[in-house]
Amino acid sequence: MNTLQIGLLYGGATIAALFSGIPIAFALGSVAVLFMMLFMPAASLDTITQNVYEELASITLLTIPLFILKGAAIGKSRAGKDLYDALHTWLHRIPGGLGVAVVLACGLFAAMAGSSPATCSAIGSSGIPEMRKRGYSPGFAAGLVAAGGTLGILLPPSIVLILYAVRAEQSLGRLFLAGIGPGILLVLLFSAYAMLHWRTEYRRAAALGAANEILRQERFTMAEKFAALPRVLPFLILLTGVMFALYSGLATPSETAGLGAVMALILIAVVYGAWTLADLKPIFAGTLGESGMLLMIIGMSLLYSYVMSYLHISQGAAAWIVSLHLSKWLLLTAILLLVVVLGFFLPPVSIILMTAPIILPPLRDAGFDLVWFGIIMVVVMEMGLIHPPVGLNIFVLNRIAPDIGLGAIIWGTLPFVALMAVAVVILSLVPAIAMWLPNLVYG
Amino acid sequence: MAHGIDAASAAGPPPADVPHAGRLGQIQRAVTALNDLTAIFSALAIAAAGLILTWEVIGRYFLAIPSDWQDELSAMLLIGATFASAAWTQARRGHVAIDALGHILPPDIDRIRRRLADIVACLFCAYFAIKSFELFREAWDEGQTTPSAWGSPLWIPYGCMAAGMALLALQQALQAIKGPNP
Repeated sequence: MNTLQIGLLYGGATIAALFSGIPIAFALGSVAVLFMMLFMPAASLDTITQNVYEELASITLLTIPLFILKGAAIGKSRAGKDLYDALHTWLHRIPGGLGVAVVLACGLFAAMAGSSPATCSAIGSSGIPEMRKRGYSPGFAAGLVAAGGTLGILLPPSIVLILYAVRAEQSLGRLFLAGIGPGILLVLLFSAYAMLHWRTEYRRAAALGAANEILRQERFTMAEKFAALPRVLPFLILLTGVMFALYSGLATPSETAGLGAVMALILIAVVYGAWTLADLKPIFAGTLGESGMLLMIIGMSLLYSYVMSYLHISQGAAAWIVSLHLSKWLLLTAILLLVVVLGFFLPPVSIILMTAPIILPPLRDAGFDLVWFGIIMVVVMEMGLIHPPVGLNIFVLNRIAPDIGLGAIIWGTLPFVALMAVAVVILSLVPAIAMWLPNLVYG
Repeated sequence: MAHGIDAASAAGPPPADVPHAGRLGQIQRAVTALNDLTAIFSALAIAAAGLILTWEVIGRYFLAIPSDWQDELSAMLLIGATFASAAWTQARRGHVAIDALGHILPPDIDRIRRRLADIVACLFCAYFAIKSFELFREAWDEGQTTPSAWGSPLWIPYGCMAAGMALLALQQALQAIKGPNP
């Protein structure tokens, strides 16, 4: 069999295994082992454990459980509600200020917790009822939180960016910094939409003439505004402290992850008195479930990629893409469309690990900066978090606000999918939005 | 809310799709006890890794202590935690899968598909456990260590991988024999 035939068989077997319902980690591992048995020397099977161990023993990858622990500690506390309450008291004068406060709270919380579902859950559980109480339509309220939650995979310390850094062999520090500008761009786009859509809902309510909460003016005194700050400040200090430790050279990424997790646990103990076994149990249970599942996928994906590389499938596929002589932007568009399609079925972690060896060499040859591409790819994968059928954030919101209904949530998220597509176009036209900060810091 | 923590999830997600009655139920209860024990070990290992890495920063900057073992020990603890808690996660169906066909196939056919998926996953994990055990025995017999200056014994992570994957395969076998819930 030639490389093309083996490659097609490998792809077909992967699709069949994934769609059969075998957990993603074991589906990829099974396909890899099957092809090792069929096409590789028998001795290679003796090294599968070693392969997985050596790939996983990367200290950068192993920051993931600790960043998840940090996110779980903050996510299970009341920090999300306090953050959003504080922002609301300061932003209530802006038209649609409540929605803007929710978007900003999502961005800040995502940067502290590093997880999209945790952000959705923490901000959504208090933000959605509050927005609905104030007359926001259910779909609009859910869409704001779902979209805001996606910032968790773009803003540092994004787990998806950690994986991308390892697979693309790019500086994690540069990638983290490159995510900040596009993160702010998305916050601005989402906030602008929140203000515009609020005006539409306001006018509609005013035209009906009926009493509607959206028409009511809110007032907060300066005393109330300042009273909201003390509970939020420690977490903002944690957020900036972690970034300072990382970029001042005080700590490596792995040390930053450890330091962040320990500091988050200390903070929730001090601020919320959450230090008993009953308080810590859900935090560690959540961390174990999420990090175990993710690291198992990562370990088996690395075995899968090793087999793909040994059998020259990834090299052959990359060479084939190069041989098509597509123009630079057509190549980028085709690859991003592939990422969108994969986002219908696979979580971002799997998309990066499975496609990186194939798509990155042609992009490098075409002259794209792989740090910039990593950010574009993550924004595209953010769309996958809020569109069906996988749309993880949609299902998180359906769980915390079941009365809204899946259909209304999906309709509410669609404008934000379009805004993310706009952001991809803007970032392609003005790459400096992503690259100015890493270039400023690293030169 | 208790102390600002979501009390509803305090116990963590409960086991799903596991056998409860008869001999299988008895075995499952023993496996559940073992899973809970390994989950506690894993949680402690993650916490320890966080503390070790924090100590690394404090030791280097405030006490001028060289950092030569902390990264490696943290990596071992986190890999150990990942594999040791794999069966605990599986008992809660926490290893994500694509369930697109579940919405298309008739219920009876779908149950067969889900059971077959469990069987394939179980076979893979059992095979991985055997290979891990062979590597563990080799590392033990030959006294293999990591190539770093610290040179920690490799049988520890390989042992965790072998034991974790064996327990995971056993958990999957129990779920496959019992069959998925309707």
